[in-house]
Amino acid sequence: MMAEQPHEPEQPHQAEPAHRGEDDVFDPSGIEWTSVSPGLAAVRRTILIVQLAVVAVALLVAALVIGWFWLWVALLIPILAAAFGWSTIGRQVAAWGYAERADDLLIKRGLMFRELVVVPYGRMQFVDVQAGPLERAFDVAQVQLHTASAGSDARIPGLNAVEAARLRDRLASRGQAKLAGL
Amino acid sequence: MTETVLGARLADGEWHRMHPLTPVVRSWRVLIVVLVFIVQGWGDNFARGEGVPELHRPDVAGRVLAGGGAIVLLVVAIGVGFIVLSWRTTRFRVADEALELHTGILFRQHRRARLDRVQTVDVVQPFIARLAGLARLTLEVAGGSGSSVSLSYLREEQALGLRNHLLAEAAGVHYEGAEAPEAPEHAALDVPVGRLIGSLILSGPAIGFVIGVIGLVGVSVIIGDVGPILGVFPTVVGVAGMLWGRFNGGFAFRVATSPDGLRLRHGLLEQRTQTVPPGRVQAVRLSQGLLWRQADWWQVQVNIAGYSGGGTDQENESGNILLPVASRYDAITVLALVLPDLGVREPENPWDVIHAGLTGSGPENGYLVAPRRSRWVDPIGWRRSGVRVTDQALLIRRGVLGRSLDVVPHARTQSLGVTQGPMQRKLDIASFALHSTPGPVNPVAAHLDAGAAARLLAEQSVRAESARNTSGPERWMAVD
Repeated sequence: MMAEQPHEPEQPHQAEPAHRGEDDVFDPSGIEWTSVSPGLAAVRRTILIVQLAVVAVALLVAALVIGWFWLWVALLIPILAAAFGWSTIGRQVAAWGYAERADDLLIKRGLMFRELVVVPYGRMQFVDVQAGPLERAFDVAQVQLHTASAGSDARIPGLNAVEAARLRDRLASRGQAKLAGL
Repeated sequence: MTETVLGARLADGEWHRMHPLTPVVRSWRVLIVVLVFIVQGWGDNFARGEGVPELHRPDVAGRVLAGGGAIVLLVVAIGVGFIVLSWRTTRFRVADEALELHTGILFRQHRRARLDRVQTVDVVQPFIARLAGLARLTLEVAGGSGSSVSLSYLREEQALGLRNHLLAEAAGVHYEGAEAPEAPEHAALDVPVGRLIGSLILSGPAIGFVIGVIGLVGVSVIIGDVGPILGVFPTVVGVAGMLWGRFNGGFAFRVATSPDGLRLRHGLLEQRTQTVPPGRVQAVRLSQGLLWRQADWWQVQVNIAGYSGGGTDQENESGNILLPVASRYDAITVLALVLPDLGVREPENPWDVIHAGLTGSGPENGYLVAPRRSRWVDPIGWRRSGVRVTDQALLIRRGVLGRSLDVVPHARTQSLGVTQGPMQRKLDIASFALHSTPGPVNPVAAHLDAGAAARLLAEQSVRAESARNTSGPERWMAVD
């Protein structure tokens, strides 16, 4: 099914083959995962840096009032947090993946709390594509599938606009072909 | 004008209004509040020896109006005017295999419900409406919460006639004559009042209520102050109201079968008649609280698309109950009515499988159980946590103190998921979830072996796919 995909200037990145054995549950054999755009990491890192910058400024002001020794602490905390957040976001974004199979869509996500969702095309009620201003700046959009269940949290953030549109149309047409009642 | 029109003739493709008494029935609460307000005021006057104000004397009437009476009068007038206007603008019609409802004064709303998408049809009679011989007809379609079309109020026999017509249309049946015949019913089960009361007494809220009242009275007597009683009085009233609501909703609960599906009738003051066509039940849960164990009572709840459930809306809460309390035999019987073929094949006995699901533990009868190492994350419940797959449905059992068994037909599975937290990852276990439509049944098999959960997920997605392809038609009686 990936073969039918029209060629685009920026191909979605294929996830590197995961280490077998340990991660079996979230990596069933014979499935090629497509990972999401690195633009998602850029969006989240931008938000992180802005938030930490605000904290850093507040801490700096406090340090100026209290004393110069605390300036080092005031600088160190945001820098450490930024470093930790930066790498976590990278791994979190890498953990997202989706795969289009013949009858259903698979979505996996999460580092600490991992989740794998299987959504049959025939159960799809509608598809949403969303992108906020910051997302648009990094050419990122979120595609969300809705079924009749509130429990199926089937969203794929961080698709570039072309891929998001392609996926939306593809899901819609597959849903049409496979449509079942409730 | 609609007085002489029978139910099915309301479905003539023309626009109809609701019954003219609708505004009165809808605003009776407001009227009573106003009445109480007035009577209270006069009562105060009486106590002070002033007597009832002589409103025919202009000066007295003027004083009453000046003392807030005018505002009350204005509010009442606006309220009543609004309700009457809303009645005037509300119209419905049955045309092109759909029920259409037009409402709203300032913000107009036009809602169209396709009859082949009907999930349930309810006829509800609140107490006041019953006195006036009126009833509300509610049609649920699967559009999430708030997608129902509600016709309030029609004359009772009109509502029933229209319901029969809508069900016939939805089923794909064409009938002779002016009136849709009511589908013949076959009474299946009922809930005796004694058992209902017993089940309420043996429920958590009732025990808490009694303990709370005794404790409060005790504390008040000891410290010689009524403060504690007054302080938590609202909570006590709330719990009592909840118990009353359950009693009211579960009173004279009867389950009947008909070609149109299950028919439930219940209610003391507010009477409801629900019709659930075949194949509309998305998931079933049989559950038992700790205190019901001695009597072996079970409650049967269902997920039906459109009934949101779990919310604060008491109306919806009662809609999801298939049996408020039942013996084990009755509970299994009603499960069999909803799901005639459990998909357990010879030489296995379906009863054994269900019994094992209700009270059993361990891998007997084909249950895939949580491994022993899962006791680190679920020290009590792990013994019963288990899944059984049959040809037609997935059974998930859990709970050692309060027990439950969830049954989801493969054909009704919406989507599937596996989750794993950090602790579960260390123990190499994972939780398997079926996503059903919103409602009280939330089928999750917790802490299975990770490999087994992955296999279950893979197999279940294939099974659900093939079950969907072979599932019955939406129009349950259509002749192809």
